[in-house]
Amino acid sequence: MKAPTPGMLAVGLLGVTVFTLMMVGPPGSYTPPPEPQSTGPAPSSISVNGFTLTSDTVDFPIDEQQYPDGPHADVINANCTSCHSASMAMTQPVLSADQWKTTVTKMKDVYKAPVAEKDIPAIVDYLTAMSAAQNGAPTGKAQDPAPNAAPDASGGTG
Amino acid sequence: MDRLDAELAAETSRRRFLQKAALGGAAIAAAPALAQGITQGLTDLHLPGGNAQRPMTSAFPGKGSMILQRVHPPLLETPMAVFDRDVFTPNDQFFVRWHWADIPTSIDVDAFRLTIRGHVNKSIAINLEQLMRLPRVEMAAVNQCSGNSRGLFQPRVPGAQWGNGAMGNAKWLGVRLRDVLDLAGVKAGAVQVRFGALDQPVVAGAPDFEKALDIDHARDGEVMIAFGMNGTQLPLLNGFPIRLIVPGWYSTYWVKMLNDIEVLPGPDDEYWMAKAYKIPATPGANVKPGAKDFPTVPINRMIPRSWVTSLGEGQRIAHEASIPLGGIAMGGDCGVARVDVSTDGGRRWFATKLGPDHGKYSFRRWDAQVPLPGPGQTALMSRCWNTAGVAQPMAPIWNPGGFMRGNIETTTIVTA
Repeated sequence: MKAPTPGMLAVGLLGVTVFTLMMVGPPGSYTPPPEPQSTGPAPSSISVNGFTLTSDTVDFPIDEQQYPDGPHADVINANCTSCHSASMAMTQPVLSADQWKTTVTKMKDVYKAPVAEKDIPAIVDYLTAMSAAQNGAPTGKAQDPAPNAAPDASGGTG
Repeated sequence: MDRLDAELAAETSRRRFLQKAALGGAAIAAAPALAQGITQGLTDLHLPGGNAQRPMTSAFPGKGSMILQRVHPPLLETPMAVFDRDVFTPNDQFFVRWHWADIPTSIDVDAFRLTIRGHVNKSIAINLEQLMRLPRVEMAAVNQCSGNSRGLFQPRVPGAQWGNGAMGNAKWLGVRLRDVLDLAGVKAGAVQVRFGALDQPVVAGAPDFEKALDIDHARDGEVMIAFGMNGTQLPLLNGFPIRLIVPGWYSTYWVKMLNDIEVLPGPDDEYWMAKAYKIPATPGANVKPGAKDFPTVPINRMIPRSWVTSLGEGQRIAHEASIPLGGIAMGGDCGVARVDVSTDGGRRWFATKLGPDHGKYSFRRWDAQVPLPGPGQTALMSRCWNTAGVAQPMAPIWNPGGFMRGNIETTTIVTA
């Protein structure tokens, strides 16, 4: 890379100085930055008979969580993070391969998730392996009668 | 179809990326992963079979400390300790449940319109000022998710793995649905009324979330459209600017961000009424674990429930001859008549004193001074009778959707 000439440095320094002076402004002109909420016009509102509704604008937090590493993690991360967080799958109880297949198929057929048919076995394998790993350490309380049969996945939702 | 959907998904993903970018570098850098960015510590929901740890979060707009079940679309559960403080659940800790991820993040109260159309004399669209000028009603009512406590089902079932906190109680201020329907004029032969909202599926062709009530139910004078919640406007995540209130019925009918009312000349046969939120047509919605091919009906009225809230699961306290015990109860589709408690796993029961009555659809506080058995593990139970004479059963039900749990709940403490 070519070394800067003294002229280029001088122009650069002048530019930085002018920019800094512009930002600082004349003496006494500093005003604190506005509160984030107060930028722009005040939100509109409607008041009727003593009750007021005020327009609302919010930001939702962004979920950066990916599915944990494992075989086919790339496939499930590519297919199953757009409509819902990974936590939806990761908080499920231990489910069988058949139950996971039922769920993944429902996502595709009923909820129209754009999952390619060829990706389904890899997704089901990943989720089944995740369940199997979880099965190693059951905890929690058993206040109700012991389970006597495996459930069938069905119904929704709530 | 697949190609179109894939393109739409790509577009959605691109939009989300642009939204992220618009938030600025700091937001992205501060949230490299869920656990580091927006959560503080873990809580244990004590679900049988495990996988019961959930992060706590205060990162959602209008919301304080909540149990994080899912960021996107949001599922936020209320910690049980909140219910011990007041029978009314504060707006900033009221549970949150959305089905689809395309939720408006900005609502302009001037631009908002509610449409009433279908089997009516004249389709109309009213603004919020017109709505707020109708005669007002205020009602305390429990809003409980159909799948509240699903995580406690045994055998476990798929779905949102809620503990007991997918519920809340608020004073709802609004107008009667009947009065709104009358603005358009319901035609003879109307059978149901369907409710739609501003949230949308993120992929084309997916079933938009809509629910329906029978016309007589919709016009009963109790079903209302609320713009006020505990004295102020609703948090956006709870359905700002208006939501449907269906007292005594499960929350699936309490459509948030309600903007469309369609009177139907026949029953709603769309997905969310015909296929989802269906319960077995058996007493207590109970079937043998693993059963299938049973007749079903749409979930409807709630049933009595109660909880100990003054002590938490696993809590350790000093042993004494007797202790104060308190909690909340709900009658379901009618009032609370009586709550009894047990400190020995259900062998002996003691009467409790009921707190102020805020109406038949509200939570009701109960308190008692109860004897403790010898030091060690102690199973605390509460049992509610509603004013129709229905009591909570000891045995839990089972159904594949994990809906309508209502048996006597147990809180196990340790005294020493």
